Amino acid sequence: MVQRVTARAVLDNLPWLTLIALLGVFTSINPRFIGAYSLANIFSVAAPLLALSFGATFVIMTGSIDLSVGAIVSAACVIYGTTFPVLGNWSILVAVIFGFLAGSVNGLLFTWLRIPSFIVTLSTLSLWKSVALLIVGGGAKGIPMKLWKGLAWADLSLGIVPLLFLISIVVFAVFYFVEAKTALGRSVFAIGANERAARMCGLKVNSTKFWAYVLSGIGSGLAGAFYSIELKTSLATIGDPLTLLSIAAVVLGGTPLTGGRGSVLRTLLGAMLVIIIQNGLNTVALDVYWQQIVFGAFVILAVFLNSEKGGRALITK
Amino acid sequence: MATEENNSRVKMDTTTRTVADDFSERIAAERTKNRIVELGPLLIMFALIIVLSVFVRGFFTWNNLAGLLQQIATPLVLAMGLTFVLLLGSIDLSLEGVMGFAGSIVALLVLNTKNSFNLGVLGILIAITAGTLFGIVSGVLHTRLKIPSFMVTFGMGSAITGFGILSYRGIPASVNDPMFAHFAGGTFFGMPLLTWFALVIFFIALSIERYTAFGRRLYAIGENEAVVRATGIDVDRIKVMVFAWSAFCSSVAGIFGAIKLNIGQVIISNGFLFSTITAVVVGGTSLVGGSGGVVQSLVGVVIVTMIQDSMILLGVNAYVQPAVQGMIVIAAVSLTVARGKKIIFK
Amino acid sequence: MAEDVLFRTRKIGKQYPGTVALEGIDLEVRRGEIVGLVGENGAGKSTLLRIISCVEQPTTGSMEMHGRQFRGKNLLEANRMGVGMVFQEQSLMKKLSVAQNIFFGREKKFKTLFFINWRRMNIAASKVLESLGLDDILPASKVLELDFATRQMVEIAKVLNIVGDKHEGCLILLDEPTSVLNEIEIKKLFGKMKMIRDQGHSIIFVSHRLSEVIEISDRIYVFKDGQQTALVERKNANEDLLYEKMVGRSTSGEYFKVDRQTDPGQDVILEVRNLALKGYFKNVSFRVRRGEVLGICGVVGSGKEEVCAVLCGDDRPDEGEMFVNNVERHFSDPSDALDAGILSVPKERREEGIIATLSVAENISLSSMKAISRHNVISDRGRSDRAREWIHKLNIKTSGPKEHVETLSGGNAQKVVFARVISGENRILILNHPSRGVDVGAKEEIYLLIREITERGIGIVLLGDTLDETISLSSRLIVMKDGLVVAELESPRDNKPSQIDIVRYMM
Repeated sequence: MVQRVTARAVLDNLPWLTLIALLGVFTSINPRFIGAYSLANIFSVAAPLLALSFGATFVIMTGSIDLSVGAIVSAACVIYGTTFPVLGNWSILVAVIFGFLAGSVNGLLFTWLRIPSFIVTLSTLSLWKSVALLIVGGGAKGIPMKLWKGLAWADLSLGIVPLLFLISIVVFAVFYFVEAKTALGRSVFAIGANERAARMCGLKVNSTKFWAYVLSGIGSGLAGAFYSIELKTSLATIGDPLTLLSIAAVVLGGTPLTGGRGSVLRTLLGAMLVIIIQNGLNTVALDVYWQQIVFGAFVILAVFLNSEKGGRALITK
Repeated sequence: MATEENNSRVKMDTTTRTVADDFSERIAAERTKNRIVELGPLLIMFALIIVLSVFVRGFFTWNNLAGLLQQIATPLVLAMGLTFVLLLGSIDLSLEGVMGFAGSIVALLVLNTKNSFNLGVLGILIAITAGTLFGIVSGVLHTRLKIPSFMVTFGMGSAITGFGILSYRGIPASVNDPMFAHFAGGTFFGMPLLTWFALVIFFIALSIERYTAFGRRLYAIGENEAVVRATGIDVDRIKVMVFAWSAFCSSVAGIFGAIKLNIGQVIISNGFLFSTITAVVVGGTSLVGGSGGVVQSLVGVVIVTMIQDSMILLGVNAYVQPAVQGMIVIAAVSLTVARGKKIIFK
Repeated sequence: MAEDVLFRTRKIGKQYPGTVALEGIDLEVRRGEIVGLVGENGAGKSTLLRIISCVEQPTTGSMEMHGRQFRGKNLLEANRMGVGMVFQEQSLMKKLSVAQNIFFGREKKFKTLFFINWRRMNIAASKVLESLGLDDILPASKVLELDFATRQMVEIAKVLNIVGDKHEGCLILLDEPTSVLNEIEIKKLFGKMKMIRDQGHSIIFVSHRLSEVIEISDRIYVFKDGQQTALVERKNANEDLLYEKMVGRSTSGEYFKVDRQTDPGQDVILEVRNLALKGYFKNVSFRVRRGEVLGICGVVGSGKEEVCAVLCGDDRPDEGEMFVNNVERHFSDPSDALDAGILSVPKERREEGIIATLSVAENISLSSMKAISRHNVISDRGRSDRAREWIHKLNIKTSGPKEHVETLSGGNAQKVVFARVISGENRILILNHPSRGVDVGAKEEIYLLIREITERGIGIVLLGDTLDETISLSSRLIVMKDGLVVAELESPRDNKPSQIDIVRYMM
């Protein structure tokens, strides 16, 4: 028992320690890594990934998975870029509403049809990817330069911290509030930890799972808007690598795939870790192709470290 | 006596065995459902042939049908690999990654535009072996570390894609080997060579499924893994072999892709993960394991290929195809999934 | 005569933390005989079978087979030594054929190169089936195609084939094989059992249907509270005698706080009519009044567990209606039942009653989060205050509201479950084995708690741990057998029905 407690204590703090260690390693290779420019870059790249991962955290904490997040981001990005010329900055609302709807589709299909979450979200991934490609006709469409004035607000920053990053922190606060202080949030934990008991306690299991997917969708929608704002374009392929990265953010932060434990706070940490690894790899001039390999391996390792050893699930499929 | 003094109301029912009868009714219902799942896809296939021939111009022509024969080669091979994984109750999301990787590697090993290798058939064998090794790694990680298959194969798939891209560093190799051209265009008794190869793999899979103890155990593990373990059978070893087989098939599909396009790059595999899952599920193999088979998957592949082909003939936008497949998968899976309020699905 | 003994246990005992499941069991099975095993729920029958089949290890004592020491780590080893068990949940693979199931794991002898010669296996399977007179079963047919009774025969043939390669005779354990069979199928099963016996093997047959056990067994062991109380020869056996030996001594009413038993009010707070769940129970109707404890008696498989599952919303009935405070209700899951004021204390406390990784305070408030929230925001203060209140009220031994429940002892975890269930405004509680696995002191506290709850007007449906407990705690009893309600009796404070009478209905 004592052994288990100390092992858990080490693993719980591993994300922090890794973050500091990596910062140290990368800085020693390239001292400019902690420089103002580099950090500002890190923060602005982080914003969409954060928004996206916070929502995904809820789904993972219930024990399910959302493979469609990347596609929702793509579609939202495209939708934002397409409506911006018409609606200006109100397009953010459109993107978020779209995320809400996409999340609802996931949630409804999952709870009504009772089929495994990876299949539902794999299918909706295809759906939203198709939608994104159809709207934009295949690749990317830039937002006309004369409209860029309307997006200038996004370039503001507080010191080295960009506005978009601050917005994502606000999003974090909202999600954290939901997680800690609402019945929905507590139900998410209960269901992830022991769905059978949660059901018998009278918790609304289906409703909770539905809303978890909606939150995931909202986060993805917002992320899509962020990307469009930053890149000033509608890019239908922006979301392709994002599903893996969002899972990495959640998992590297220390939330187990089986759910029941974890927090959006951890995901905040995990997402920063992901960005730093990405930037770090660039800095040490490793081919960008290595990113996929590195993240793939890290995710597997992190999932293993987070899981309950010898736990209830003796049989994994 | 206590009994008399109590206000007792005794209800004795003469139909005492009715509960047992209800129980056997449930078993019979299970049987009927199974029969529907077995025969349904076959009927759908025939119905589809008729419907498409009537309503889709250009479907029922020699040209198109011959083209269909060519088109089923790659999906069929992939389906053979995935079917076994599904029988266990697991999933393999690394399909595209391995396929892309093998295709990329093989293009660099045979006569090509990027380097001076010219290993011919040996090159093909090396590529297939490399891909299969990745499958073994996935299987080992899954069984040793007890990580769910979707997560392991998702991570591995990403990593393998990375290796694939890394192998040609962004500039894919074009193949000059005449052997490839021969395979791409050659026919044998009227049917394309690649389709022949696919059929060979089909028959190998069929033999394994029907005529070996290994094949029978796949069904058993999918249905009730705990009992199989209790029998002393090495379930982990079987699982690793299944993932190896799946990677083997994906590698072969990758070679097919490189042959068809004469180039080795990872995007040759785009979209195949999803269409393969669709084909296998539509054919009647269950996601939770324990039922289905390669013959069913063959039917599923034919159905999906016909639908894809028809959509092209009808001029449907190429981007719509995956969305349609998505809906088909959801419909197919929800029809075959186990119902019951208490079953936990994640 | 010593050579006649096939299998023997010597002073077998099994202890779990807090309870003694078996004590001093000296069982003897002779060659070529059918031994019946009867007793109430919790008497230890299933535990003994699990020990004999090496699925579990005994805490004390030893076993012998053919005069040699018998000990194994798992079922496989038990099989190798000649003991096989036919489980209630079948171990057959539905998609495989009869032959493939019989020889599952041992296909090697039919192999040529990589492939299996199914024809040879089918022929071998036919021989196995023939030796049991089961010639009408085709070895190539898939198990899915067979009906339940036939599947059970195949299961028996399979077990016999695995263990029976010895000429010395083997032991087959049958645990409640007749619970879902009709009369004809039971007759057939008995015929096969006699055949097996006449071939020199022996069977231990467990069933709650005494008439059946008397019909087929050569000798009958009676178990009560983990001990063997009688050994009866077939010629001396009759149901009354067996009942008498099965039923425990009644514990004093003081232990169960019978003097605090509430007189039920007039208002009917829960009524069910003609409730049915296909394959489990049928035509169940009863009423629960204010302050009443309705106890449901029945053996495992009588349907009482499933009735509770339907009452608390875990299962949806196929037929019938439910009325809560005279309003008809349909529950699609336990949250609907909770909205109507019905909540259950589940049987498997650790798996279904608590969320181990959450704190005491969280667990207590899990079923009543609205009560500790203001405008949908959960008040941490409110939650821990509430938890402290209940920790004090129920005397829960814990370091504080923040402690994770997984570190609490069985009795204290159960109290947390009670706190959760009572702290909301619930009108009807379904208590499923509420004192199971809890030490004596905590049990008494729970009984007192039940009295206090009913005094407040809450109605309880109770599945007790022992018959004694159920009778003593309840103000009314219904008895279920094979999915039907067979009796309904009053159980007033001063005139409790006797255990023997109830047991008679149960079996």
